[in-house]
Amino acid sequence: MRPDHPPLSRIRVLDFGHVLAAPFCTRLLADLGADVVRVESSRHPDFPWPSSYRHPDGRHASYLNTNRNKRSVSIDLKHPAGCDVARRLAEAADVVVENFSAGVMDRLGLGYETLRAANPRLVFASMSGYGHSGPRRDWTSMNMNLQGAAGLMQVTGAEGDPPTAISNSWNDYIGGLHTCYAVIGALTDRETTGAGIHLDMGQFECSVSMIAPLLLFSAVTGRNPERMGNRSARFAPQGVYRCAGEDQWCAVSVHDDAQWHALAEAVDEGGPDPRLAGEVRFATLPGRRRHHDEIDERIEAWTRGLESTEVEARLRRAGISASRMRRVQDLVEDGSPSRAYKRMAEPRVGSMLTTALPFEFSASALPPATPAPCLGQHTREVLREWLDVPEGELTELAGTGALV
Amino acid sequence: MGRVLDLGALAGAYAARLLAESGHDVIRMEPPGGDAVRRTGPFLGDASRLEDASGPGDASGLEHGAFHRFLNAGKRSFSLNLDSAAGWRVFLELVQTADAVVTSRRLPMDQVPPPRANLVWTDVEEAEDELCAYARSGLLSLTGHRDGRPMLMGGQIIYLATGIQAAVATAAALYVLQRTGQGQHVRVSMQDCLETFVEQAMVEYTFSGTRTERRGNRGTITAVSGALPCKDGHWVVSQINRPGRWEKFVEWVQDPELMADPSLASDDAQRENKDFIMDRVLAWSKQFTKSDIVEEGQRRRFPSSPVSTPLDLARDPQLMARGYLTEAEDPRFGRIPFPRGAVARVRDQEIGPAPALGQHDAEILAELGYSRADHRRLAETGAIGGDEGDWGTTEP
Repeated sequence: MRPDHPPLSRIRVLDFGHVLAAPFCTRLLADLGADVVRVESSRHPDFPWPSSYRHPDGRHASYLNTNRNKRSVSIDLKHPAGCDVARRLAEAADVVVENFSAGVMDRLGLGYETLRAANPRLVFASMSGYGHSGPRRDWTSMNMNLQGAAGLMQVTGAEGDPPTAISNSWNDYIGGLHTCYAVIGALTDRETTGAGIHLDMGQFECSVSMIAPLLLFSAVTGRNPERMGNRSARFAPQGVYRCAGEDQWCAVSVHDDAQWHALAEAVDEGGPDPRLAGEVRFATLPGRRRHHDEIDERIEAWTRGLESTEVEARLRRAGISASRMRRVQDLVEDGSPSRAYKRMAEPRVGSMLTTALPFEFSASALPPATPAPCLGQHTREVLREWLDVPEGELTELAGTGALV
Repeated sequence: MGRVLDLGALAGAYAARLLAESGHDVIRMEPPGGDAVRRTGPFLGDASRLEDASGPGDASGLEHGAFHRFLNAGKRSFSLNLDSAAGWRVFLELVQTADAVVTSRRLPMDQVPPPRANLVWTDVEEAEDELCAYARSGLLSLTGHRDGRPMLMGGQIIYLATGIQAAVATAAALYVLQRTGQGQHVRVSMQDCLETFVEQAMVEYTFSGTRTERRGNRGTITAVSGALPCKDGHWVVSQINRPGRWEKFVEWVQDPELMADPSLASDDAQRENKDFIMDRVLAWSKQFTKSDIVEEGQRRRFPSSPVSTPLDLARDPQLMARGYLTEAEDPRFGRIPFPRGAVARVRDQEIGPAPALGQHDAEILAELGYSRADHRRLAETGAIGGDEGDWGTTEP
C-alpha cells in the first residue's frame, strides 16, 4: 500500500451487522478506506427502524447514513447454500464484524473457530450487548438498556433526579468506536504475527469504560459519587439557564473571580437590589459553591428576559464562557455549519448530509462518500471479486434461492 | 509494540490509555507539579480531606484523583518540565524513540523539529469548557427530561468519548506506519467529535424536518422503551415490535387496559400512545425488585436491564466474570476491583496501576543514556521533578 492511500485500503470487511452498533463500526472502517460488504437478506429483514423517510427500496434515512460506502450481498443464511457462500466470503475476508446474540454465528456454521481453520489471519469482531461469556451472555439489549446498565443514566442529572439518558444511540456509537479501534489494532498486530484474533467485545464494557473513573471511586469509597447535574467541582457558578422564548437555554461557566465579577455586573445591570457584584459571600469559589442555588436564581431572573443569543453575546463580550443551547437545526443551518457533516450525492434523494470522520490525516487520503447499496446490489460483483466464482456457478447459486 | 508519548488532557489521556490497553509502551509526560488530569475529582479515599487540599502543592491529592487512577493506568510517568531548555532537549530526544505522540497541549511547535517521517503526531483539540462545548454541539438539547432543564452528560464522559475517536485516528495512522514506514500528523477536534454524535437527529431533521428533543430516559427509536421505577431502583425495558411480540408483552404485563385494546399492537398506535403504555407498565413493574423483573424479562426475551449506579458496577458479576474488573492490590486501599478496560480485556493485556508522579524518571533517563549525575543536575535546574529519584541499580 502507499501512505497516501486511505489507511485501510484493500482491507476486506464482511459485515453481518444489524440495527446500529456493528453497522456503525463498519461505517468507520469504510470511512478509513476498507472494502465493506454487508450480508443482508430479504428473508430476514433488519430491525424495523422507525423513520420519517423510506425509499421504495426499503432503505430508511438512518440506513442511508449508516451504510454508505458499503456494498451489499444478499444471502439467506438459513439456506445451506447461502451459509456456504457466506463462509467462503468470510474465508476471503480480513475482518468479520457481527453483533448477533452469543452463539448465533456458531449455529450458522460461521463461528470464529470454524472460520479460523481456513483463514487464520481473520480478525473476527463480535459485539453483542454483554459479550459471549459470563452470566449475562444470553441477555438481549437495546441502546436504552445499556445506557441504564452501564451507568450513564445514573451519573447524568443532579442528586435526586430520575435516571437521565441521552436521546440518541449513544451506546451503539461507543461500542462501535471501541470495536473499530480494537479491529485496527488487531490488523496492525497481524502485520508482525501473521495471526488473526477473536475480539469478543461487549458493548456493555465499552460503555462502562466511559464512567470507569467513577466506578473506581465507588470501588474504593463504597459509595456513589455525587450527581453533579450541570455543576462543576472546579467552577462556580456553572449552569444551564432558561432564556426568553420556548425552551431556549444558555450554558454559562465562570472560571475565576474576575469572570464572576464581570458576570455579576452583567446581571446587576437594570436588575433589582441587592447587587450581586458587591456580595462578599460570592466573591470566592468556595462561597459561590455554597450559595450556588441562590446565585442560580439571580442569574436566571436575568437570563429569562433575554434571548439566548443575547445572553451568549453579552457574556462572551464580558470574557465569560457561555454558549446557547444549539439544536440540530442550528448545526445544519447556522451561518457556520458543522464540520461534522458533509453533503454527498445520494440518487434516492438527490443529495444528503452525512456524517464525516471528525479527524484529519496529513498523509492518508480518505475515500469519497458513495451511496448506501440496495439490498443485494453487489452480490454477483463481490462473489466474482472475492471468490472468483464463474458466471455459470453464480447463475446456479441464484437458482437455489440462497441469494435473496 | 511501539512507544507512545502522552501529553493529553482528559480526552488525549483516554486515547493514550487505549494505546496502553493495546500493549504499547505509553509514557505519560507530566509537568513536575502534576497536571490537570491528576487534579480532576472525585478523589479516592477521604474525599473531604483530599478535595479541599488538592491544590498544586498537595502531593497526596495528586495521586488519588479517580480520573488519574483510571486514565493513567498502564502507563509510565515522566515528570519533565518542557518549559525549561534542558527539559525540552530531553523531550526531543525522547520523541526520537517514539512511534506516536498524542498531545492536547500546545507545544512550541517552532521548536519541534517537523515530526520525523516515521512518527505519528496526534493533536487533540480539547474543549476547556465542558458544559459550553456540550451546549454548542447540540448534545445538550438531547439530554435531560422533557420540559425539564437540559443536562450535561455526567462523569466528564464527553472527554472520554472524544478520546476514543482520537484513539481510532491514531491507530489508523499507526497501521499506515506499520505498513509503509510513513508517519503523519493527525488532527482531532473535540467539537467535531461531539457533533458527530448528533447524527441521528441530523438525519431525521434534514430528511423530514423532524426535531429530536430530549426525553428523559424514554427511548427515541423503539416506541415502548425507557427506565421505570421498581421496588429497589429502576430498570429498563425495550419492546421491539416484531410480529407477535406485543401480544407476548401484554401477556407478561397482564394489564387489563393494555389487554383491552388490541389495536395497540401496531407500531403507529404504540408510538402515539407511548406515554399511556409506559405509565401502565410503570404501575405494574413497581411491585417487583430490579433483579426479579429483569431476569423475568430476559427469560421472556424482552430486552431488560437494571439501571446501575457506579457502586453497582464496582461489584457487577458480569464485569467480574469476564475479567473486565480485576482484583488489584492498591498500596493505599488494599485489594480493590479495578476496571482493566474494554480493549485490555479482549486482548488479555495486563494493565499496571497508575504511576506516581515521576515514578519512572530514572528508568526513562537511563534508557536515554543519562547517568545518575545527569539526573541530579536536571533535578537541580528544575528540568525534571523531584530529586534524583530511584536509580537503585539501574545506572548504566
